[in-house]
Amino acid sequence: MARRILHVDYSLCIGCETCQSVCEFIHHGKPHIRIYYTESGLPIPINCRHCEKAPCMNVCPSNAIYKDTDGAVIIDPKKCIGCLMCLAVCPFGAPSYEARLKVVTKCDMCADRRRVGLEPACSEMCPAEAIFFGRPEEVEDEIRRRTAEKIARERISSTVMESIGRIL
Amino acid sequence: MKGMRFAFLCREKPEPTGKKVAIIGAGPAGLSAAGYLVCHGHEVHVYDKLPEPGGLMLFGIPEFRIPIYRVRKGYEELENVFEVKFFPKTKVAFGNGEEEGDEFVENIVNFNELVEKYDAVLIATGTWESWMPNIEGIELDGVYPALDYLFKIKSAKLGHMSWDKVPPIDGKRVMVVGAGHTAVDAAMESLLLGAEKVYMSYRRTIREAPAGAYEINLLKQRGVKWLELTVPVRIIGEHGKVIAIELQKCKLGEPDESGRRRPIPIEGSNFQIDVDYVVFAVGQRPTPPFAEDVGIAVDKKGRIVVDSRHMTSREGVFAAGDVVIGPSKVGRAVLDGLLAAESMHMWLLGR
Repeated sequence: MARRILHVDYSLCIGCETCQSVCEFIHHGKPHIRIYYTESGLPIPINCRHCEKAPCMNVCPSNAIYKDTDGAVIIDPKKCIGCLMCLAVCPFGAPSYEARLKVVTKCDMCADRRRVGLEPACSEMCPAEAIFFGRPEEVEDEIRRRTAEKIARERISSTVMESIGRIL
Repeated sequence: MKGMRFAFLCREKPEPTGKKVAIIGAGPAGLSAAGYLVCHGHEVHVYDKLPEPGGLMLFGIPEFRIPIYRVRKGYEELENVFEVKFFPKTKVAFGNGEEEGDEFVENIVNFNELVEKYDAVLIATGTWESWMPNIEGIELDGVYPALDYLFKIKSAKLGHMSWDKVPPIDGKRVMVVGAGHTAVDAAMESLLLGAEKVYMSYRRTIREAPAGAYEINLLKQRGVKWLELTVPVRIIGEHGKVIAIELQKCKLGEPDESGRRRPIPIEGSNFQIDVDYVVFAVGQRPTPPFAEDVGIAVDKKGRIVVDSRHMTSREGVFAAGDVVIGPSKVGRAVLDGLLAAESMHMWLLGR
C-alpha cells in the first residue's frame, strides 16, 4: 500500500481543541494529540509525526516499534518493556507512558479505523481543516490550495485597509 | 475540499434500532451527538432556530478561522448519507423571551410536546444571550452585543440576510469591549470590512486577555488600538446614535475569586473617544429551550444541571455543550456532545 501521511499545519490551527476531543473520546480519556499553549499564547497541537527515519524505532531495545503499510509508526504493547527510550529520543515528545497497561503508547494514525476504511479521527473532524491525511502528493496539493486562499485573503484585507473599498 | 465528519465513527448507516432521538441545537455539541447516534442506528431529528445547521461555527466564528464548506459539507453528509432530519428556523421553547439569533425563527415547537414525541431528547442550545453592562447610553443605536454583530455579518456572508440589515462598517470607528475570542473576532471582522479605526478596551492587561497575547498582538499589528486597563463608564449619543464612549482607567489590585487581579477604577482618569459603534464582548449566558419550570434544574448561572450520564433532572432528557458547561471552545462542546450521545445510547438500549 502507498505511504500515507498525517500532517498538522500549525498555521491553520485555530486552537479549538476538536482534534484532542475526538482523540480523547475514541481512546477513552487519553488523547494522543494535545494542544499546548505557548508563552506567546499560540495554541500548538503536538502529536506523533510518524517520521520516515523514526528515532524511536532505531532506539527501541525490544524492537517493539514498527511501521505499518501506510507508514504509521506503531508501538506493539506486547513487546514494549516501558523503558521510555522512545520518549527520550522523540523530537516531539510524543510517546506517552500508560500507567494502567505499564507500556508506552502513542498515536497509531488510527490503525483500527484505517482497517475499516475510515481516516484518523482528528483529521476527519478538524473544523479548520488544519490536519491532513492521505498520500503525500494529495496532502501537499491541499495545503498549497489553502495557502493560496490565505494569500488571496491577505491581499483583499490589505486592499480594504488602504480604504479602496469593501471587497466581500 | 472535505467536510467535517460528524459521523466519524462509521462510514454508513447501520441497522436501525427503532429509537427516535431529538436534538435541540445544531452546533458542535448537537452535530457531534447526532453523528454518534446515527452511527449506532438511532433515528435523529435536529431542531435549530437558525436557517442552517452549524451553530456558532457558521454564524459566529469568522470564515478565516473555520471555512464555511467544512461545516456545510459536514452537515450535508449527516443529512444525505445518515438521513438525519433537520428542522431549521425552528425554535424549541417553553415560555422563552427573545435572545440573539432569533431573526430567522418561523416555527415554534413546545418543549414539553417535543419531549413526549421522542424516546430521548438532547438539549444543546448553547449560550445565545449576551451580557450587557448597565451603563448610561447602552440603549443607543450603534451599541451591539458582539454575538449579534458577528451573527449579522456571517448571516449576510452565508446568504441568509441582505447586507443592508448589517451595520455598515466601511469607514466607521468601532470600539470593541472585551478581550476574549469573541472580542478578537469582532475586531478582526471590523478590520476586514473596512472599519476606519478599531479600538479594543479591556479592564485588565494583555497578560490576562482570555484570547491570549498572540491574538491581541496580531490585532495590534493590524492597526487595532489596544486600550488595556480601561473600562467603559458611559456611551455618549446624539439623536439616539452613538457618537463617543467614555472610558475610565484602571489599575490591578489583589486577585479575585477567579485568581486574576481585580481591576480598580482610578478616580478622575476618565477620557472620551469618538466612535460610531460600541460592541460588547463581555460574556454569554446559557439559553436553554425553556424559561419556565419544565422539571429541569439549572444552576445560578443558568446552566443546565446534569448527572454523570449527562441526564438532566428529567428522565430521558439529556444536555450537552455550552448550555451545560458555559461558553467554551468548539472542541469542548464536541467532546461533551459525544459523551452525552454515548450515554444516551446506553440508556436507550438499557430500557
